[in-house]
Amino acid sequence: MTQSAVAPAETSTGRGGPGRSSRASSRRRMFLIALIFLAPALLLLGALVAYPIVYTVVRSFFDASGGQFVGFDNYVEMFTRDSTFTAIRNNIIWVIVAPVTCTILGLIFAVLLDRIRWATAFKLIIFMPMAISMLAAGVIFRMMFQENPNLGVVNAALVGINSWFTDESAYPGANVRADSGLIVQGGTIASDGAVEPGTEQNFPLVGIRADSIPEEAAQAEEPGSAGSDEITGTVWLDVIRGGGGENGEIEDGKSGLPGIRVDAVADDGSIAASAETDAEGQYQITGLADGSYTIALPASNFTQGYQGVNWLGETLITAVIILSYVWIWAGFAMIMIASGLSAIDRSLQEAARMDGASEWKVFTKITAPLLSPVIIVVFVTLIINVLKIFDLVYVIPPGSSKPAANVIAVEMWTVSFGGGNNQGLGSALALLLLILVLPSMIINVRRFREERSR
Amino acid sequence: MRKSLQHRLLLPVASLGVVGLVLTGCTGGGGTDTGNDLGDFSGETLEVSGAWSGAEQENFEAVLAQFEEDTGATVNYTSFGDQAATTLGTQIEGGSPPNVALLAQPALLQSLARDGNLIPLSDNARAAVEDNYSESWIDLGTVDGELYGVWFKGSNKSTVWYNADLYDQAGAEVPDNWDSFLEQLQVISDSGFAGISIGADVGWPLTDWFENVYLRTAGGDMYDQLTNHEIPWTDPSVAEALEVLAELFGNQALYQEGAVQRTFDDSVTQVFGADPQAATVYEGDFVAGNIADDGNSVVGENALFYDFPAVNDSEPAVVGGGDVAVALVDDEVTDALMQFLATPEAAEIWVPNGGLTSPNSNVDTSLYPDDISRQIAEALTGAETFRFDMSDLTPSAFGGTPGQGFWQIMISFLQDPSDIPGTQQALEDAAVAAY
Amino acid sequence: MTGADLTIVRGKKTVGQRILGVFNNSIVNVVFVLVALFWLVPSVGLLLSSLRTVGDSASSGWWTVFTEPTQLTLENYAALLSNDTITGSFWNTILIAVPTTFFVVLFGSLAGYAFAWMEFPGRDWLLIAVIILLAVPIQVGLIPIARMFGALGIFGSILGVVLFHIAFGLPFAIFLMRNFFTQIPSELLEAARLDGASDLRIFLTVIVPLGVPAIASLAIFQFLWTWNDMLVALIFSNSQSQPLTVAIQSQLRQFGANIDVLSTGAFISMIIPLIVFFAFQRYFVQALLAGSQR
Repeated sequence: MTQSAVAPAETSTGRGGPGRSSRASSRRRMFLIALIFLAPALLLLGALVAYPIVYTVVRSFFDASGGQFVGFDNYVEMFTRDSTFTAIRNNIIWVIVAPVTCTILGLIFAVLLDRIRWATAFKLIIFMPMAISMLAAGVIFRMMFQENPNLGVVNAALVGINSWFTDESAYPGANVRADSGLIVQGGTIASDGAVEPGTEQNFPLVGIRADSIPEEAAQAEEPGSAGSDEITGTVWLDVIRGGGGENGEIEDGKSGLPGIRVDAVADDGSIAASAETDAEGQYQITGLADGSYTIALPASNFTQGYQGVNWLGETLITAVIILSYVWIWAGFAMIMIASGLSAIDRSLQEAARMDGASEWKVFTKITAPLLSPVIIVVFVTLIINVLKIFDLVYVIPPGSSKPAANVIAVEMWTVSFGGGNNQGLGSALALLLLILVLPSMIINVRRFREERSR
Repeated sequence: MRKSLQHRLLLPVASLGVVGLVLTGCTGGGGTDTGNDLGDFSGETLEVSGAWSGAEQENFEAVLAQFEEDTGATVNYTSFGDQAATTLGTQIEGGSPPNVALLAQPALLQSLARDGNLIPLSDNARAAVEDNYSESWIDLGTVDGELYGVWFKGSNKSTVWYNADLYDQAGAEVPDNWDSFLEQLQVISDSGFAGISIGADVGWPLTDWFENVYLRTAGGDMYDQLTNHEIPWTDPSVAEALEVLAELFGNQALYQEGAVQRTFDDSVTQVFGADPQAATVYEGDFVAGNIADDGNSVVGENALFYDFPAVNDSEPAVVGGGDVAVALVDDEVTDALMQFLATPEAAEIWVPNGGLTSPNSNVDTSLYPDDISRQIAEALTGAETFRFDMSDLTPSAFGGTPGQGFWQIMISFLQDPSDIPGTQQALEDAAVAAY
Repeated sequence: MTGADLTIVRGKKTVGQRILGVFNNSIVNVVFVLVALFWLVPSVGLLLSSLRTVGDSASSGWWTVFTEPTQLTLENYAALLSNDTITGSFWNTILIAVPTTFFVVLFGSLAGYAFAWMEFPGRDWLLIAVIILLAVPIQVGLIPIARMFGALGIFGSILGVVLFHIAFGLPFAIFLMRNFFTQIPSELLEAARLDGASDLRIFLTVIVPLGVPAIASLAIFQFLWTWNDMLVALIFSNSQSQPLTVAIQSQLRQFGANIDVLSTGAFISMIIPLIVFFAFQRYFVQALLAGSQR
């Protein structure tokens, strides 16, 4: 391995050349000095961080009010709740995805940073999310991913792109007047029974706003009389502004709906002929052979445009929250790794480049090993940080997808403060969180062992 | 988020009237036997905390300023936002609770009182409460026979708000019973707007729907029994109320799509915002505050309300909520403040500024800044049947926690209103676990 | 080398070499511009939301201002900045964040040095124990520490808030400093030790100067975390000692998305951290130059 990663401990033991006899006393001195260096930190950690763990362990064996010893009941309850397993599953997804993504992005940004002239501006842009409070960050992400394309920028962009390729229909969301003998199937509005040439088929529609119908629309008129090879009818908005009137009747104040395609569908499902309504809503299908037809207004008249993705629903909610986390924490990884990079000795890289080593070799054989202590700090910190992720999961999901987005820290908060007021169960959950951290500690134990053995 | 935990902490009907600080002058020298002669506490300092912030905080601080003037004491108000239980819990553990806290959940009042953290009202304060409040409010502040609470603020959660422009355009009318309510929603939906917007993202508005219907179909006694879980949620009366609700929830033509992701405040914006999509929204009197904040509609002009419609000829009934003042420190100045808060004079400082519906029966209703707020207040104090919001009275693991219990099960019910037995069973299971 | 040779050499390169080879400076520039633009979207959304009225925010998206710039207004800022609670809490925030940062950096580097360069029994296990403490969620500390502070009489004071933050900031500080200090070439320390320098002297003259980039980044993050904390401050401060976050929180209306208050508050409270970032930025760059000039 590289020079600077040599275990420091060996250096300190190896230095005592002349005074071997005083080794024991120098060790004791070393220990005392170490104690002085460690004392302020250990004192505060012991009193304010370790002590609450002890308190939590004890508390987890008591009931909600803290008055009665209940043994392992809280643990049994914890592992019989569905919400605990959702939380553990989500925490695992978080741990697998978020720290790696942040660290890799941070590493790429940091390493390539000196290739661009505006590095400071870039750093600031990536760093800025860290300076925004979690509450505000959560609110802006929730806003961005709202389903309503008028409010959520992501769906607005998707809908915008989509509208380049598809046309929106003239009457989205229209419906039939109840009890008018019409049926709606898969968005298509059709006559219920068979219609024969020479007769009329009317379509009273509702659910269209009076102010959204085309300007050329005029007062609806009764259909013209149908010839022997014709079917005629009127499609109109069966609502009078301000109310009143008889449902299903063509009356003063009701508007025709122009531009609607009307199909005559033969028994075998093929379209025999079609027509389009005029300003008064009248249509006239001609050239029909004898037989019976279904008169249908195809769904293309009424389809709602593309409405975007349901980002905050149960399926995608965790992905959205993880995205917001990466947005915030990639800056942390970048700054940390950049500071590690700036402290390492560049002469080695220069020398290697002189010797004709490729950039990739320089990176993998020299830069990365020198950076590994910092990368490990970033990675481990992020793993632990992600395990206790709280704020974003608390803020971003709408209530209906909160259970789907649940994580242990939020579950613990909900149980002990947010309504349950059961600190016994909450304490058990907190300890579960601590236990889940242990696997990531194995990385560290291994690393320390390696250092020692070198 | 915030609202999820704090739906109970009543609302700003803020800026409904003029929000100005009328520090003095409103109390006048009425000289009632309570109120003005509280004693001299110069140099003493009181800490008061509550959920109110923004305009409500300013108005409440004006009330406290009158107390400061009367007694010479200094009062600091701090908002604990939606963290009432956490903040008070830790402050009590830390040995420095505020002198007085305003709680929106009777369940929290009960648990604090049973743990011995609250100070019962003194004889003077009790007398003031008995003079000014009706029996139901006194009962709500009583735990195990001891009176702890002064209900400073009330809210009426049986108001249905509608956009009068859209009602006029569609030709819809103000309904007086449930069937006609559904008919009017259909009329609006025919005109191209959604009949009603439901903000069900957290679930508490749905519990308020249920409570209003249940109070009308089953009556006050059954309501109390269900609240205390003396009858199970599998009771036929619950099925009846859910069936009534399913007439609305099961007819997707009547309400705006996307309800389970819509926040409560967005549901108000959908009706009263710049580009309304729906014509009606049901929630408590605090909707007026949202309308005023949004600024696109005017309460009393195009934003009006009607009482929650009767079901099967039920009597007028109101489901309500409120904020109760409780004392956490046992000293004379705290007692003086509690006495002061129980007087009509204290409430009358805030009432003209809008945003306060006082449960105090002796408050002069002519002081309300407009007809709407006066109607709301009169409906609250004058209802034949008044019941406190059920979900606030049940253990909060059942009735007050986002993502579980009553709230979450009602969201599931909205998504699948056909499964009434399953919904009842889920509610019963959650209740059994929580009680 | 001719072009033909180059292609032959390239052809023999590993996958990794090719990936890095593709990253020539102009492509790096383009990619970074795209990344920066994407990264800016939420911040710009937040900024524009702070410049619109609450009614506008409720009815249309923030990008509407690009077509209707008349919507822009400073009234949200005027409302928050004219509020005495907000302006008064600025000073509290500084009183909390500055001492916290100072002591976390000091205690963290002292302990980090001991873990990196001193030998004592159980060193690695103690270090692992410290790192495990990283995992203690802040919520776990609330009740027991409230009890302790109540007994000590510092509940509600700035001192209590500061102590809480220092303690919960230390595990990360120690971990970072320890790992950073192990990078320092051992010859430098040996030379100093042979000169008979004490540990304190080595710490001050060798470790601290070489550790400036790490100290700077630790300081900026600790400062930020403390500056933006709300939970600890909400519970451990009172009306006299509350910081900015709690003051902003108290301006929120119930039942609103409160995007106007939150976005405006976010930008008001971001000013100082960004100034601090620029101040520390010098140290990253300085160290970078020192490294490359050698």
